[in-house]
Parts: sequence; C-alpha cells; structure tokens
Amino acid sequence: MTQFPTIYSITESEIDLNDLLAKITLTSTGAAAIFAGMVRGVTSRGDSHETEYLEYESYVPMAEAKMKQVADEIREKWPIVEGIAIVQRIGKLYPKTPTVLIACTAAHRDTGVFDAARYGIDRLKEIVPVWKKEIGPDGQEWVEGDYIPKPGE
Amino acid sequence: MNHIKLLFFATIRDRAGTKSMEVDIPADMTILQLKEKIGTDYPNLKESLKSVLITINREYAFDEAVVPTDAEIALFPPVSGG
Repeated sequence: MTQFPTIYSITESEIDLNDLLAKITLTSTGAAAIFAGMVRGVTSRGDSHETEYLEYESYVPMAEAKMKQVADEIREKWPIVEGIAIVQRIGKLYPKTPTVLIACTAAHRDTGVFDAARYGIDRLKEIVPVWKKEIGPDGQEWVEGDYIPKPGE
Repeated sequence: MNHIKLLFFATIRDRAGTKSMEVDIPADMTILQLKEKIGTDYPNLKESLKSVLITINREYAFDEAVVPTDAEIALFPPVSGG
C-alpha cells in the first residue's frame, strides 16, 4: 500500500503552495482542498480596526507535534484523505501575506476532503501553540484564543 | 528536589520578562501547587495564571497532574495561530 504523505511544519519562510501541493499529490489524487489564511490589513467585522503587521511566535517542537496530531485526527475521521499538508508561518508578517496553509488531497472532490481541510484549520486554531501580536496605528496587542484543551488533546 | 525548566510564551513571557528559567521544586508537586508557587514567587504573573494553559513535556496538563522529574513545563495563554 502507498504511504500517504503528511507534511507539518512551523516555518519562517514563505509558504510555497505549488511545492506543497506537488508533495501531497499521488497518481491516485484527483482533488485538493486548500485553506490559506493571510494577514488582514483592514478588519470590518466586529471591532473594526487596521493592522500594520502581525508578529507570530510558537512553541515549535510542541506545535509540530500537535500538527501531526491534527493530521492523525483527520486520517481517523476521513480515511479517504490521501495527502495532508499543515504549515504555519511565524515571524513578522504584513497584510496580504499567507500565514497558514492546510491542504488535503483525495481521489475525488465528493469524499469529504473539503470538510477535512476545514477541520484541520479549526483544530490548528484550538490546540497548536502559536500566538500572534497585532500591531496597528493605535499600538500593539496580543491576540488571545478562547479554547481550553481537554485532557488527552 | 526536582529540577525543572519553565518556558513562557506570548503575554506570559512579556510579563515574566524572560523566555525560560530553571527552578527547583519539591518532588511530587502538582501543577496546581506549581501555579501557586509561581504566583507567590513572581507576583506580576499572578493575574496571568488564572487563564493560563500549562503543558508537561509538550502535552497539555491539568491541576492534579504531578510534575515529573526534569520536566519541561510551558505556560501560555489560549492559542491564537492561523
């Protein structure tokens, strides 16, 4: 049986979508669901404000272990998923810059592959130890999440 | 005694003024007792400890867990990656 590729990393380098996509595409692959998040310069939903840049930091060894766990959870829930790539960029990142990428591949698009990628980004935002500080015209502020992991997560 | 490493991230690191430190704690200390000790030793962290997440050797840990020998303990706020 073919070993399905799983890529997970915290990086300070630019996220190379084409390279990642090539790495998770097998001869049996016919579909990829890709989520990318980027720095939003202008926020209008909720507390509207502008962002000059975000500064990301991570507890890297734990973050990569938790990304691996997210990938394992995806495989458990969607065994049809072939390749998985989960990459979080850290450092000082400016508006329009991609900061995170989750991509899942499968043989066909109607296999749950969209849900798998959605689950991946939602889970990353819950349990992968990465934080961002937002720097705007009115000063700087750490963005804090609200998810409290449960035992075994 | 148990010699452990403490790591701080994000808001907690800013308030602690350092990324990491090594401390000696009594054997069989729980996470709850460790939090109380940190709050006493570093009063400026006390407020942060109310909503802090704690890990032992890179796994989420909870109040009743006993700190193992030579543990790497991290303290940080709820995560905000993406």
